[in-house]
Amino acid sequence: MTIREKILVIEDEKSISHFISTVLNNNGYEAMQARTGSEALSMISSHCPDLIILDLGLPDMDGLDILRKLREWSSLPVVVVSARSYEKDKVQALDLGADDYLTKPFGTDELLARVRTAIRHTRTASGNDEIAQKGTYTVGDLTIDYNKHQAMVRGVNVKLTLSEFRIVALLGKYAGKVLTYDFIIKELWGPRAGGDNQILRVNMANIRRKIEKNPAEPEYLFTEVGVGYRLAEGD
Amino acid sequence: MTPQKSTLARLFPFSWRDLAVSAAILSCAAVICILLQRANSSDGFASPVFVLAVLCVSRFTTGYLFGLIASVLGVVCVNFIFTYPYWAVNFTLSGYPLTFLVFLAASIMTCALTTQVRQSERLRAENEKEKTRANLLRSVSHDIRTPLTSIVGSTSAVLDNPGLSLPEQWELLEDVRSEAQWLIRVVENLLSITRIGEDQARITKEPEAAEEIMGEAVRKFRRRYPGISVSVEVPADLLMVPMDPILIEQVLSNLLENAAVHGERTSRIRVSVQAEEGFARFAVEDNGCGIPEKELPTLFDGTLKRNETAKGDGKRNMGLGLSVCLAIVRAHGGTMQAQNLPGGAEFTFRLPLEEQE
Repeated sequence: MTIREKILVIEDEKSISHFISTVLNNNGYEAMQARTGSEALSMISSHCPDLIILDLGLPDMDGLDILRKLREWSSLPVVVVSARSYEKDKVQALDLGADDYLTKPFGTDELLARVRTAIRHTRTASGNDEIAQKGTYTVGDLTIDYNKHQAMVRGVNVKLTLSEFRIVALLGKYAGKVLTYDFIIKELWGPRAGGDNQILRVNMANIRRKIEKNPAEPEYLFTEVGVGYRLAEGD
Repeated sequence: MTPQKSTLARLFPFSWRDLAVSAAILSCAAVICILLQRANSSDGFASPVFVLAVLCVSRFTTGYLFGLIASVLGVVCVNFIFTYPYWAVNFTLSGYPLTFLVFLAASIMTCALTTQVRQSERLRAENEKEKTRANLLRSVSHDIRTPLTSIVGSTSAVLDNPGLSLPEQWELLEDVRSEAQWLIRVVENLLSITRIGEDQARITKEPEAAEEIMGEAVRKFRRRYPGISVSVEVPADLLMVPMDPILIEQVLSNLLENAAVHGERTSRIRVSVQAEEGFARFAVEDNGCGIPEKELPTLFDGTLKRNETAKGDGKRNMGLGLSVCLAIVRAHGGTMQAQNLPGGAEFTFRLPLEEQE
């Protein structure tokens, strides 16, 4: 018998909670539902779920507060659910330690992809299994070689500059996860780097011109408008 | 002029602009009188010149305050400076009370008239706004009712007919999904309107990479319409454009959606951006049936049109999506155009590359 991963769905809308749970239960997970923040907090400590899906708009408390409380003692993966127009909330949630987000309305394939990625990233210490074992990360025609510090498309070195490689390497380490502009900037240029993400945009444009067929139709490096970047996840 | 203010403040508002205007007009009158006095020794002209000045002050300032002050000053000036005995107040002058009353009456009547005109102007602007809002509501209600009818109908069909075959159920559920997705897009357009805000000037612009926003809009569009081939063209050099990225993505999505839905036989769409004389010019070009010639001139006049001609309710409304596009582009200080090309339609919009005040 396989042990099914337990997922706590914190969502006050009954119909949304219901459909998320149904999808999860039918795809090899065990879903539990919490309708309020206080119920959620007690269920987290009593049931120890493997992942949390958290709606930011709850009736009794701010979803961000739940996240903050949780992060004081646990690194349990959290996927935040929020509406489109609130990209500031998303960024805030990600910076507070959420692992990813889903924008309402979302489809079931998107839901399952986010859940899969978030669970995979917590299982392995380095964040990405493949890198730990082989020192490379491959998705489609793109290979990031962490030992040689280069990226290859169909086996050909695309000659990234040092900072370009560091950006790609970072995104590869968290492949499938969205990384906020702030996170990338801090990881690359240190915690005191300014909030200006112009340099990042320019680097990103250059990287895309080297690894994508068309920089405006990316196959690997996706933009999350107003939030950050995400590298495609390999299989 | 807000209704919360007391009546006193509303009738006698003070502003430095009005003070300056009144001072300028009265000085002009005084200068004219001095010049006339030099040229001609008689003093009968002072009163009419000042009456005219008081009329002007009352007309060009707000409320009654400056009109009344001007009439008092006018009387004093006429009596004190420009009427014999000069430089002395002479209350015994015959006709003096009459002069004073004439000044006051002229001032009050003009002020009242001016205030009335202003009020009716404001009312008209408010009516206009109200009409746009009503049009919007009507258009939105329609856009929402049709898919809702289909959703309720399809789900009832599945729930109330246990005998339906699985493929039949699937088909109905597919309809429910696509109708619901249509509703989502309507709602997202409405949210965009609230994001622009009432005065259309509160958007926050950040320099964004045009290619990233276009890439995202196209990626989402492809998921919805896998049958349409979309090509994206961006300049070799990175083009950064000051914008609210969420809103511009909405504009591009709407234009893509329009090309797919209203082009009717659209199979190819070309999206491009290029720098052009201080603007970024975005274009969405399709190979569909084009825009009906009679709709072209009024496409962007801000009114929401319903397509209630031959096809009636069958055809989805282009009005909401386009007016949202136009509102967003205008809020960015940009312009928008549409034209028919040989074998298709093209929508373009320009956003300024420099932040302007």
